Amino acid sequence: MGFSLTGTHVVYFIASVIIASAVSGVLVAVTNNVNTSLSETGDRVQTQLDTDFKIVNDPNNIPNITGYYRFYIKNIGGRKLETTNTTFNLFVDGEIISTAKYNFSEESIQVGDITTIYVVNSEISSGDHDLRVVGPQAVYDEFEFKI
Amino acid sequence: MGLSLSAATAIIGVSVLLSIEFMVANVIPTMTDTNDSFDEMKDRAVEQMQTDITITNITNNSLGPPYDLNITVENTGSIVLETSYFNVLLNGTSQEFTCSETYLYPENIVYFNITNQPNNGRLKIITDNGISDYFDYVIS
Repeated sequence: MGFSLTGTHVVYFIASVIIASAVSGVLVAVTNNVNTSLSETGDRVQTQLDTDFKIVNDPNNIPNITGYYRFYIKNIGGRKLETTNTTFNLFVDGEIISTAKYNFSEESIQVGDITTIYVVNSEISSGDHDLRVVGPQAVYDEFEFKI
Repeated sequence: MGLSLSAATAIIGVSVLLSIEFMVANVIPTMTDTNDSFDEMKDRAVEQMQTDITITNITNNSLGPPYDLNITVENTGSIVLETSYFNVLLNGTSQEFTCSETYLYPENIVYFNITNQPNNGRLKIITDNGISDYFDYVIS
């Protein structure tokens, strides 16, 4: 009877250690996941805060050279801007422009620098239009112009 | 029973402490970096509000046509501007230019020069933070 009481205590002890370890493992794993997500969210917020650009064209004079309209994008944010068809989307009057119909003069621009977006001129008819350029983290600038 | 409870409490307690330590070690740098980015964004917004330029005159430096234009730009804002980050658009097209000064101080003027241009047009000058001014000119 004495032995069985000790045995019972040992079983309780081992069981409680196993359960506590399992709870600890889950807690650490969940905390780690939350940490990773928080860190990634922080990075995205930082990128969003650091990213800013402006379409600086003269709205009455959009250059139309060799079949392409030229739109000038100036990096007025706090970090280098990757300017490619995958990082930027273009909308004219709310309609998305296919990535095959525009390209950039530079793959990236430093703070204060300017890049040119070449848009195939068949994508924009004569008249008043609205261009929305959407960059990294959905930061965007809008520009009304006349062709 | 008492020992089992103590052991379990100790294990869970240590893991809670470790989790808090991981969380604090991760969250504080992230918050600091985000706060820095927010401060920088705020500074950029303030600088934009304090930036203003005025194109006061355009003169011709050549017998022409084409003409070499000398553009006078005054800093009517309250912060110093770096002219190498300016952009000049003439009739909507970006132009190469030279400038008389590296920095444009408040209430001072600088001269931008662009060559081989027509006798009339619409000029736009853009500062490093996107503030701009327009000027219509005719060389008679």
